[in-house]
Amino acid sequence: MIKTLSFILILLLISSVDISAQQQWRYEGPRIGFDLSRFLLPAFQSGSRHGWEIQGDIPYKGNWFPTAEIGMEWFDDKQQTFHYLSNGIYGRLGVDLNIAKFESLKDQDLLFVGIRYGYSHFNQEANNIIYSNYWGDVNSSLSRRPMSAHWGEIVFGMKGELFKNFFLGWTFRGKFPLVQTNDPNIKPYIIPGLGKTTGEIPFAFTFTASYRFPIFKTKTLPKPIKVGGAKHPGANREENSQYPSGGQYNMNQGR
Amino acid sequence: MKYLLTLLTACLLILTGCDEQNRCYESVNTQIVITLKSSDFSIYHGLIIHGVDRNATGDTLVNDTLSSQSKRFTLPLSVSADSTGFVLTIANVKDTLYFHHQMSMQFISESCGFAPKYTIDGTSYHTGIDSVRILDPVVNTKSIEKNTNDQNVIIYFNPASH
Repeated sequence: MIKTLSFILILLLISSVDISAQQQWRYEGPRIGFDLSRFLLPAFQSGSRHGWEIQGDIPYKGNWFPTAEIGMEWFDDKQQTFHYLSNGIYGRLGVDLNIAKFESLKDQDLLFVGIRYGYSHFNQEANNIIYSNYWGDVNSSLSRRPMSAHWGEIVFGMKGELFKNFFLGWTFRGKFPLVQTNDPNIKPYIIPGLGKTTGEIPFAFTFTASYRFPIFKTKTLPKPIKVGGAKHPGANREENSQYPSGGQYNMNQGR
Repeated sequence: MKYLLTLLTACLLILTGCDEQNRCYESVNTQIVITLKSSDFSIYHGLIIHGVDRNATGDTLVNDTLSSQSKRFTLPLSVSADSTGFVLTIANVKDTLYFHHQMSMQFISESCGFAPKYTIDGTSYHTGIDSVRILDPVVNTKSIEKNTNDQNVIIYFNPASH
C-alpha cells in the first residue's frame, strides 16, 4: 500500500514538474486562419455577397508579424432597375506590430496596428438595365469586363488566445483606393477584398479564427515596443529586468 | 478570455456599421439644356415643343407663353434611337430640329441605378432655324445642373421667317 501511494505521489510530482516545465516555454509559430465575417456578410448586404479569405502570419522578432491574406469574392446585386455581377480574387501583404506588453511567457494576446497593400483582379458586368423617359423604355446590358484595383490599408485589431494555440480576433481596416481600371460606364462599387467604394474612406471589419502551429519555443519574452521618446536612464530598470540584456528575442533558444 | 467583451463590442460595431443606404439621392434625369435665341435679338412670343410624331395632348414638352428674346429649357433624348427629333412652334410657325447622338448607360449608384449619357454628334433642321451651336456635346445627369447662363446647345432662329 505504501509502495503504491509512493508510486502515485512520485508520478504526480513528475507530472507537476513536467507541467511547470512546459509553462516556462513560450511557443511561437506561423498562424493560419480564416475570416468569419465572410459568413455574416450576406445577412447585412442588399445584394448577395459571398466569399472566403485565408489569413496567415508569422512572428518576427517577437512583436512584428508579417502577414499575407488571400481570398475570393462573388457579388450578385439584383435591383429593380439593374442586375450587377462581379467576382474576383484578391490578395494583401503587410505587417502587424504588437503594441501591447506581454505579461508572461504564456501571454500571447495581441493588440496591433499594421499596414497592408492590396490587389484585386475581378470581372464585372450588368444586365437588365431598365430606363424610361419621354421616348419610351430601354433594356440594355454592359458586357463582362476584366478589371483590377490597388489599394492600401491601415489596420488596428486584437487577437486573443482563447484555447491553446487557437486564436480569435478582429481587425478594423481603413482602406485607401490607389489605382483601379477605369470603366466609363460602371465605376465598380464593390471590389473584392476592398469592399464598398462609395464611402469617402471605405472601411471594414474582419473576424479571424486562427490556429498557431507551435513550431518554435523560447524562454525569452519579447521586449515591449516603446511608444514615445526616450525615458530617463534607469527609469525602466526594474521593468526591464525580466528581459535579457539588449532585449533580443532568440527564436532558437531552447530548441 | 479578457478580449471576449471587446470582441462582442466589435460585433455590435459591425452590426451597426452594416446599415445599407437604400434611398436614391442623385438625379437619374438626363436632359439636354438648350437656349433658344432670335438671330436679331428681337422679342418672340410663345414657344411650344413636342417630339416628332408625338402629337397627343400630354406629349407637349415645353409650353411657354411668355414673350422673350431668349428662352432656356431642357429636353429628353431618345433612349432607343441614335437621333431625336423635336417640333418647335414659335409664333405659330413650326420648325423641326434633330439631334444626332450616341448613347451609353452610365452607372449612378446602387440605389439610383443607371442613367443614359449622350454625346451629340451633330444636328439637322429646317430653314426657320438659322444655326445651332453645340457648346457642350456631353449630355448626362449633371447637365441639368448647369448654371443659368450655361447650356449644351444654343439655337438661333430667324424671326423674319415666323
